[in-house]
Amino acid sequence: MIAASAARRRAALLAALLVAWIAGSVLGAGEHETAGARPMFQIEPAHAEFVPVLNSEEPIFVLVIGSDARPDQDVNSQRADSIHILAVNPAKHKATIVGIPRDSYVSIPDHGTTKINAALAMGGPELVVATVESLTGLTMDYWAITGFEGFNSMVNQVDGLVVDVPFAMDDGSSRAYFEPGVQRLPGDEALAFARNRHDLPAGDFGRSENQGLLMISALAQLRKEFAKDPSRLLDWVGAFTRNAESTVALDELMNLAFTGTEVNHKTVVNIVAPGGSGMAGGLSVVTLDMAALQAISADLADDGLLKKGNIPPSPNAPLLEGE
Amino acid sequence: MGALTDRSNPPTVTANRVERASSKKRRKPLALFIVPAVLVVVGVVLLFMLGGGTDSIPIIGDDGPDDTVPEFDFTTTKTTGIPTVSEFDKAALAASAEQTGTEITPTIDDLFTNAFLDPTNWREGDYEEVFAAFAPAALPAAQENVETLTLGTTAGDVFEKVRPNKSNLKYRVLFDPDGNPDTAVVRFTFNATGKRLDGTALAIASSGQLFLQDLDGWKITAFDIVRSDTEAEVTVSTGASGGSGATGTS
Repeated sequence: MIAASAARRRAALLAALLVAWIAGSVLGAGEHETAGARPMFQIEPAHAEFVPVLNSEEPIFVLVIGSDARPDQDVNSQRADSIHILAVNPAKHKATIVGIPRDSYVSIPDHGTTKINAALAMGGPELVVATVESLTGLTMDYWAITGFEGFNSMVNQVDGLVVDVPFAMDDGSSRAYFEPGVQRLPGDEALAFARNRHDLPAGDFGRSENQGLLMISALAQLRKEFAKDPSRLLDWVGAFTRNAESTVALDELMNLAFTGTEVNHKTVVNIVAPGGSGMAGGLSVVTLDMAALQAISADLADDGLLKKGNIPPSPNAPLLEGE
Repeated sequence: MGALTDRSNPPTVTANRVERASSKKRRKPLALFIVPAVLVVVGVVLLFMLGGGTDSIPIIGDDGPDDTVPEFDFTTTKTTGIPTVSEFDKAALAASAEQTGTEITPTIDDLFTNAFLDPTNWREGDYEEVFAAFAPAALPAAQENVETLTLGTTAGDVFEKVRPNKSNLKYRVLFDPDGNPDTAVVRFTFNATGKRLDGTALAIASSGQLFLQDLDGWKITAFDIVRSDTEAEVTVSTGASGGSGATGTS
């Protein structure tokens, strides 16, 4: 019995040693055990990024045209519903938007004097560019155009535009029914917001400013989405190219889009060329304040930016002040 | 294993229930619990070592430094094509995007092999081969961020060896109106384990997005990369990609 008991004890001891050895191996004896016992710490995360933004001191001028074309109509052969000069200062990461009311009564090169919106139907985007260049003395680097359907699709393809609607709207003509405040607008609602003029005190002037506000909202959204997921840039560029015509080549568009992500939307100045209403040849027209427009154009020419003294009052000021 | 049982004292076969019960009570010593426990532990260890395949052999603390470049390939998990025209063939777009991803992947494999895995590079702190992947406009920014984009210029003073772990790619490809790939964005997650000279280990994690364009070969034109390395406490794979790796802790 004694011998048997001693043998069992030896077996138990051997087994215990083996268990200890195996367990030690599994848990990482020696060096590794030391590693497991040392204090753990989170190593500081590091971030590296590079965005190929344009950094020229020279401003970039883009004429953005909204065509009155309905679905199945050629955007280039209808009247222009909106006309905006987008001036970008790449070096300073700033921009200016100048809306030109569509009913502005101006000289259209080789086509006499009439509403500027007729220039599109008369000679396509190139004639609108020539007209704006003649009017302002600025040289447009690019133009881009879309119609109702393209605008609607473009907005929907970036999952809607988040817009801070500045005041209530209730216009049956454009179907713009909005409460003020931040909201995500799908394509049709963004279009309604852009088209509404009947319940704005300054009519087409106020509408033009709201159209500029949509551009700023798009810029803000692009920046936000790019910061979260840079590949969203491709979605935005794709949505633009699928729904707009433009002289901007794809690679240039990518560069402009990258540059856009660096432009602080809060610093973008959004104005409308000042003027008043009048009649010409039986037509209700907008008569631009040419002295003010020339001062604005001259100011923009060198850097795409406006001095405070050249920023006209907002045409929507009565509504904005009332909010 | 035979040493665990005392063959000189085989179990006695008892004649009746009372005796068996009595015998059981007597013969329930430690060894009876330990032997099965040992067998279970040994089984688990063998399963752990063999079940994971050859990639899972622990290297920490056993075979010292070596100069071989571990084989490494990213796994592409998703590819998406983005058109720039409104009317397009979805199947053709998907196939072209897939093809573009296939063309680019070797560039990304090489980039991370050169940046993290090739001992010749990290021992010397020389990452010229890494910078060759960048377009001229992006090159200065890449060089400025060498410590983030690579194992680091002083890695040779810190690490003994580095082994890759499972790493993934996702592609989004923008096509021009003619259907040619214009810009590709690669979302990547790269993981590796580095064994330090002091025996500790680091779970290396690099993730982010790379924009590439075909400029006489696919080159990186923009990047957004985050390194979130953590201390590691376990073993690493010995070479091929996709092996089980270290678990980072924080």
